[in-house]
Amino acid sequence: MTDRTTLLSLSRRRLLLSAAAVTATALVATAGLSPALAADSPKDGGDITFLIDSLGDTWIPNNSAISSFQGHVWGHVTDKLLYVDAEGKVSPWLVEKWEQNDNATEFTLHLKSGVTFSDGEPLDAKAVVANLDIWYAGRKNEGINPIGLFPKTYDRAEAIDASTVKVFFQKPTLGFIPTLGYHGSILISPKSIAQPASAQADLYKTAGSGPYVVESWKEGDHVTLTKRKDYNWGPAAVGHTGPAFLDTITYKLVSEPSLRVASVQSGQADVAYNASPQELKSLKDERFTVATPRYLGFVNGWAVNTKHAPYDDVKVRQALQAGINRQEIIDTVYTPDWHLATSFIQSNVPGATDQSALLAYDPAKAQKLLDEAGWVKGANGIRARDGKELVLTIHSNPYLATSKSVDELIAQQLGKLGWKVVIRAYDVVTYGEKIRFGGAAVPTYEVTRSFIDAGTVAGILTNANNGENWFALDDRDTKINDLRDKISGAGSFDERSPLLDDLQKYVLDQGYFIPRTQIVQRIYVQSPTLKGEVYNGVAYASYYTAFIAD
Amino acid sequence: MSNAYLTYAAKRLGQAVVVILLAYVFTFVVVSILPGDPITSVLRNPQNGFSEEEIAEIIAAQGLDKPVLVQLWHALSGFVTGDLGMSMRSNRPVSTLIAEVLPSTLILAGAGLAVALLLAMLVAYGTRFVPKKYGQGLLRGFPSLFLSVPNFVIGLVLIHLFGFQLGLFRVINPDSFWATLFAAVALGIPVSSQIAEVLIANLDKEAEQEYAAVARSRGIGQLKLFVSHLLKPASLPVVTVIALTIGELLGGSLITETVFGRTGVGSLVQRSVSTQDLPVLQAIVSLGAVVFVLVNLIADLLYPLLDPRVKILGGSKRRPTTSDEPSIGSAKAVNP
Repeated sequence: MTDRTTLLSLSRRRLLLSAAAVTATALVATAGLSPALAADSPKDGGDITFLIDSLGDTWIPNNSAISSFQGHVWGHVTDKLLYVDAEGKVSPWLVEKWEQNDNATEFTLHLKSGVTFSDGEPLDAKAVVANLDIWYAGRKNEGINPIGLFPKTYDRAEAIDASTVKVFFQKPTLGFIPTLGYHGSILISPKSIAQPASAQADLYKTAGSGPYVVESWKEGDHVTLTKRKDYNWGPAAVGHTGPAFLDTITYKLVSEPSLRVASVQSGQADVAYNASPQELKSLKDERFTVATPRYLGFVNGWAVNTKHAPYDDVKVRQALQAGINRQEIIDTVYTPDWHLATSFIQSNVPGATDQSALLAYDPAKAQKLLDEAGWVKGANGIRARDGKELVLTIHSNPYLATSKSVDELIAQQLGKLGWKVVIRAYDVVTYGEKIRFGGAAVPTYEVTRSFIDAGTVAGILTNANNGENWFALDDRDTKINDLRDKISGAGSFDERSPLLDDLQKYVLDQGYFIPRTQIVQRIYVQSPTLKGEVYNGVAYASYYTAFIAD
Repeated sequence: MSNAYLTYAAKRLGQAVVVILLAYVFTFVVVSILPGDPITSVLRNPQNGFSEEEIAEIIAAQGLDKPVLVQLWHALSGFVTGDLGMSMRSNRPVSTLIAEVLPSTLILAGAGLAVALLLAMLVAYGTRFVPKKYGQGLLRGFPSLFLSVPNFVIGLVLIHLFGFQLGLFRVINPDSFWATLFAAVALGIPVSSQIAEVLIANLDKEAEQEYAAVARSRGIGQLKLFVSHLLKPASLPVVTVIALTIGELLGGSLITETVFGRTGVGSLVQRSVSTQDLPVLQAIVSLGAVVFVLVNLIADLLYPLLDPRVKILGGSKRRPTTSDEPSIGSAKAVNP
């Protein structure tokens, strides 16, 4: 309490000082000198508190690295082999350079030397091999899962010498390199990996090579990280490689959203995670920093079950595509920070192409398509064919807080066209059990998923190689299967890009995937004095480069 | 201690063990009937991108595909030997998880009970000695008011007023003195209503007794009359009510903990229910049963010691002769 007052008065004093400094600077500037912009240059020290709505489940690195919550902690405690920025650009990190063979089945990674884990173990070729092996296979009988999105085509990795690793795949795997920058691909000390699951679940016992180490943690309560003074191997892409500036970062669980935001507003914390979109405008007006970074992945939208009548009819699917007013979703449910979908993958993914024309709102076209398909408006305004009403059952996605509001708006839009829309909302557990891609009772499945490389997309959509068969097409659509095979066999990005463009056009034109908006799954509200944070390709905030400005 | 008293105590203890075991099995059955389990709900998170085949393989490796009875036998045999098992959600020992959160809840529940008792005492005192024109009737309405305001509403109001407006405590440091105090107030207010209600009713009854009239005729002060004459006889039934409110304190602490951001048993329950973490839930329900049974046992055993009129009647064959005497369990009052 008393701390708070002194802090406040201190900052007031600081404010006066900086006001004086600004005046002085102005005077100097007029005198013809050019002073450095001192206000925004990083300075050492400071502690921040990040309020988060959950700290996830287990801390076994393989099982949790992909969690939307724990990923924040892992991003500071561990490093990755490569860095993927918000535009999907891959750049060196602990791998300084890499080569691949012509058909992308063999990769050679050259490691930075002198990197150590916080338990003193060297991060060398052997350690990288141990990590690749556990990402691919896990130890399922012990409860350590594989990393779900790691390429299934992995064969083996070999340590050629202390700083060179050769990785072999059974089939061409262009996606391997970007996967190394994915949030699941975190490097853990071989000693930690060798531990049984129960020890790995204790955050104190896991050592990474990141700029921070775990100082204290309590399950479901907080994790406090403290900076590692000998850290000197940050990714060049963020413009800083030495030790972090902030002394500590505390991730504190506050499950009530309004309390998280109010705590930042009242100066009791520095960052609030997952604020409600409706609050953002007023927070910006109050000069808080609001960040809505997009991740690399699919847009938020529906995968349509092509076995479920009437969505087995391409005209009905196309009517659905044209009958949704996507701009209205952004204007009503979200803020201008959200972007219109231009494809079924986010526009910042390398390889995404602009298909806006296919996604234009055209109610007249939708009506015409439905008329042609034999769905006629009845007296109650609902279209019917052969005595059956035109119904769309939507299952709101429990992983996305705003999903239901979007569903309700779409229900109104489609209702004007004569669609009867039923909205069902389940909790996470029931949803996971009942609602699946292509499930018999599931006409549309709502997608929110990140990926790091567009090449994996084609494989997910179809049923080949354990694919997920999103549209329940099985092997019926030869064109999509053909594109899938060509994309997964492509040995270079130049060869792959036009194929990806074809795939996007085709999937949207057939109405297989109905985009809603580009997704922002992570919303940050931040104190105006905290500056310099960086958002990576999966929209995680890294405070490695952050500092507290005067 | 008489023989009858010891037999009575042993019998109650035996019943307690059965209740705890049944609570354990019951939790298992209820959670098993529900669809899903913590492992698949994590695996099915679309962010993880596991295929159905992979999920089935992992489930089999964890033994979750075995028949329910086999799983129950496995869990029960561990429980009897004192092994609470591993949390399916966090992969850590259940005993460690509970040990981490128990102190915080005990502090909150203890403080909440203290607040409730103090408040009940004040309200009850007020209803006797605040003159009618200064709002005695209003005071009598307090218990109903306290009971009808949900404690999360009280909690949120307290946080906004004392935490954000007055800055008495920081929301992100819920274990500080002031934060704990206000959490205890939020928890204690609804709990106080039952205690106050019973206390008021009994004070009314005691005040009409002749000994009270005699004390008053000797010119004794109001406070002294309340403290040294009326309070003790009127508070006997309160012991029973307190034992019953333990359940409310534990349940209420779940909500209060969530609102105030405390990490206690309540928040562990909440996390475990939302992920169907069976081993943790079973341990906590059993722990709850242990606490509830123990507290009621203590109350029952205490009663005959507090009120000399209450005698143990031994076997269950004898029935109470009148209905308005204080009675709990098989400890019955016998009029002198």
